[in-house]
Amino acid sequence: MWASASFVGVLIVIGVPLWWKTTEVFRVSLPYEKINAFDSEAHYITTDLVVLANDDRTAVNVAKEIQKAFSQSDVIKLRVTKQIISETLRQTLDTVIDEQEALEEIAATFDQKHNTLYVVQRAPLLQDVWVGTERVVFFRDGKASSTLVSALDKWIYEPSVLQGARSESADAARQVRFPSSDYHVVLSVVNPKPHLMKVEFDAAEAVEDYIGSFVDELSELHNFTLKSQWLYLLDFDFQPRKVIDKSKVGYHYAIRHERLHLLLTKLEERAATHVSELPTVNLALYVTQCDMSPAYIYDTNNQKVESRVQAFMSPKWGGVVLGTPTVDECAEGIHRPKVTQIMGTFLAHLRKLIGITDKESIQNGNLEALRSVAPRRWEVDSLLRIRTLEQVTSAETSLKSLAKLLGEISNIVINEEVGASINIAVQNIQNAKNLMLCGRLLEAYRASQTAFIAAETAFMDPSLLALLYFPDDQKYAIYIPLFLPIMFPVILSLKNLILWFRGKLPKEKVD
Amino acid sequence: MSKFRNIIFLLFLISQTISVSSDDFKEELYIKPLPPMHLYVYFQFITLITGDTYEHSHLAPRSLKEIMSRFQVEELHLTLTEGQWRHKQWGYPVMDAAPGAELYAWFAPTVTDVNANWKKLSATLSGLFCASLNFIDAHNTISPKMALTPLGAMNIGLNYTSQFARYASLPREIVCTENLTPWKKLLPCESSHGFASLLNSRLIHNTNYHSIGVHIRKVCSNNECTNYNFEVKQTVALVYDFKIINSINWSFKLLFGQGLFGGCPLSSSSKIYIDLTSNDTLPFKLSPKPISIIQSQRGGSDTLLAVYDIKADSPMINIGAKHSIDNKFSVTIPPPLHFNRYVLGYGKEFGGIVTEITNTYWAPIDIILLENAPWWLPIQLSTLRINGEAESSLILKQYYSPGRSRQRPYHLELLMRLPPKSTTTVTIDFEFVFLKWQEYPPDANHGFYIGSALISAKLPTAKNYTSIPVDGTTLESVINASKPWYPAVFRTNGAMVSLPTPDFSMPYNVICLACTVVALAFGPLHNICTKELVLKPSGTPISLRQRIINLFKKKKD
Repeated sequence: MWASASFVGVLIVIGVPLWWKTTEVFRVSLPYEKINAFDSEAHYITTDLVVLANDDRTAVNVAKEIQKAFSQSDVIKLRVTKQIISETLRQTLDTVIDEQEALEEIAATFDQKHNTLYVVQRAPLLQDVWVGTERVVFFRDGKASSTLVSALDKWIYEPSVLQGARSESADAARQVRFPSSDYHVVLSVVNPKPHLMKVEFDAAEAVEDYIGSFVDELSELHNFTLKSQWLYLLDFDFQPRKVIDKSKVGYHYAIRHERLHLLLTKLEERAATHVSELPTVNLALYVTQCDMSPAYIYDTNNQKVESRVQAFMSPKWGGVVLGTPTVDECAEGIHRPKVTQIMGTFLAHLRKLIGITDKESIQNGNLEALRSVAPRRWEVDSLLRIRTLEQVTSAETSLKSLAKLLGEISNIVINEEVGASINIAVQNIQNAKNLMLCGRLLEAYRASQTAFIAAETAFMDPSLLALLYFPDDQKYAIYIPLFLPIMFPVILSLKNLILWFRGKLPKEKVD
Repeated sequence: MSKFRNIIFLLFLISQTISVSSDDFKEELYIKPLPPMHLYVYFQFITLITGDTYEHSHLAPRSLKEIMSRFQVEELHLTLTEGQWRHKQWGYPVMDAAPGAELYAWFAPTVTDVNANWKKLSATLSGLFCASLNFIDAHNTISPKMALTPLGAMNIGLNYTSQFARYASLPREIVCTENLTPWKKLLPCESSHGFASLLNSRLIHNTNYHSIGVHIRKVCSNNECTNYNFEVKQTVALVYDFKIINSINWSFKLLFGQGLFGGCPLSSSSKIYIDLTSNDTLPFKLSPKPISIIQSQRGGSDTLLAVYDIKADSPMINIGAKHSIDNKFSVTIPPPLHFNRYVLGYGKEFGGIVTEITNTYWAPIDIILLENAPWWLPIQLSTLRINGEAESSLILKQYYSPGRSRQRPYHLELLMRLPPKSTTTVTIDFEFVFLKWQEYPPDANHGFYIGSALISAKLPTAKNYTSIPVDGTTLESVINASKPWYPAVFRTNGAMVSLPTPDFSMPYNVICLACTVVALAFGPLHNICTKELVLKPSGTPISLRQRIINLFKKKKD
């Protein structure tokens, strides 16, 4: 019986755990509880709002109205403070005629910082509400509070967009953005017939001047690298249709909206976007040929798009402007694109592509039109908020998916490096959450970015797949001939062994 | 060698000035009959990048500029070749290339981790050209000490060759259409216009030898050479076999499937050069007639070149050659330097690589031989024999870096002076090694390729020499370009060895057999250990079971 027991001891008590340990897939211990406890829907951002009014009553009223309007929102929490405008400032505000100058006065008085918005009373205002490029909103009096609330809701805070960023669902800004830490912006000038038409356009200068000064303002968010290239002889058949109209030339060519995505395929072949590791925002100026000039894009309803610049954009790819040479230019053989118009269109595309939404108009509210290429300051804040939520959510989803995959597929290896980046991601998600609650937006953004990058690296690490395709049938082909004949007698002997242990083995048989 | 290099730099000091307005693109085609049965066709597309920014590109491909800037590459040579150039029969090509894929580059002296950049560079190029360059790793990369020198302008005084240079070749790589398509996309005219429209992949892969290449180097932008421009040269070399095209008379339609519809509208010059030198022995007539015929005297050899200048709006041209019927029998005279390489040995224990280098010239020729053996082919310096002798006066200088298993290849460089009218045999022995079963490539019984050896020579004569001088960019610079000597880097033919290859089902068979033995042995062993034979007293009442067993036993008896 001792012999039998020692067989059991060696094979089952020592052997099986040893086999289990040696064939185990290596996994670093991961904070599963924390990952499973992630709830993207619970994130919210605290933001500061300072109400500056001429008298105490207005300040209280306006602050109350704003607080009431945003109390329901679970994605943005306002921290409203009230102040009375100092006498000197009020006098200057009342005497200065131009709003822009008034804005500069405010900017000089108050230290402008991220995530803080000043709502300032300005009695001589023509409209109820005036919004400029700084983090300042002017309102006329206490009666303007409803317009003020809708301006905050639709222009500045945009809770619906933030909700979209939080839940990774579609929203006004969602359709076009893709998160990354750095971007390449490539302007491609396409000249399909260089022997018939010369294009005089300094692509390098245009992209540095216009796009450069725009992205400089966004340097807190992303690193942009600006590039330009020329593509020749990239011939695309638009299949234009000649339409007779009442213009000076007497006709124009219609480009059907359905053909346009095929142009993108053609551009993508040559644009060399795949060479860089970073995502690329493509801007393409396609100079159409003279035999289809002037050309107009017809929209889905087969209506001519009345615009000075014929352009379209594709989410996640970029924007395309069709440069149409005039009749004179065609005769001369040189096309000189109107740089300001074209770059303006590209800027509009770029704004949308990185997530700045188009603002709808509000009755009695005036949103000052952009005078320079730089984005408005509160738009940068809004972009920071969107990105922070988006990156935290994306990191959380990546980690959750990874945790789920690990549960479902037992062959995935998690090595030390991947484990470390998962831990970094979890830690930074936590940090970003706390910073969002405090309203420290810039720091929250940085933490969320670290979390996002760490989560992506962990999820995309090739080492995860090292053992994924180890075939099970080969494993059993080895285990079965080895274990079946050995384990059979050993397991059968267990019965006797148990009886012997209990002392119930019939003694007479032994004698 | 330092003198050799310094002269290159001096040549650069007198290089031409280039306008700074915009990139410049040129396309050229060089056709040379290789009597009796072959035709050499060489395309080169040169883009001169002006301006110092990497971000903005005009005619140059943005993808290459991106790669150059990201990995800080100063000079880059990539060739993808199928077939073997036969130097003895065909003379010398404009640019030689090793069979398979070959990549070498010089990095900027500011690069701190050259190996990391090299790995990333090869991986990126692998994606760009759809080639398996991602297999380039530390274990097949060497830093050439003497054999390779940069072709471009470099700062004098820095030893570029060793520290920042990397060389690797993948002789097993198969080159096909999927490499040509991305290569064409780098051209400003792509394949729609110009000479590149002749590169019809169905026909150019039906040749004896085809090689595509991308060569990027620096050229001086002013006389003082204080500023540099990058020159991107894309090449295609083809050797047609008259037997394959079924005719000794060739024409563009026969070679490329179509005539040439004008040059690329973006090129500043589109020229076709046809070497008429072989007309003496194998007379042929060109149609249409060339615009001009240039005579070039270079290093003691006379060359006649027919020139066609193609404009963007030229009508379709179908250049062809018709041979007169009375073919004279011709003997090919081998070039001043030719070589051969083969593997020695029998069995699976030891072998040897032999490189035979023949100098047919009346004066000695200095060469540098670079042998690059993979780690699984350990070559020992002690077995090096020159013409059978261990100590040879032919070796002027040598460099040897032993390989390390799975980490580093064996690297041997010999600076030799070949005596006139002689054949020098360089033999080095190797041992066969066993690989781990995962290290065998698919179809391991096919054999293992050894990369070509590099032979860097200073040729005293330009006989059969077609390369472009180092200070020139176009084929035009070949004309009357006599120099004291002519630098050339040749690749010998590759070779194959068959390493001891196991039966790959063996491990599984062994496991199955071992399991069966264990299973068979374990049963009795377990029984003996755990059971004992006990005498049974007779007369005890027999159980029902025992009775049934007894019944069967009786029946058997």
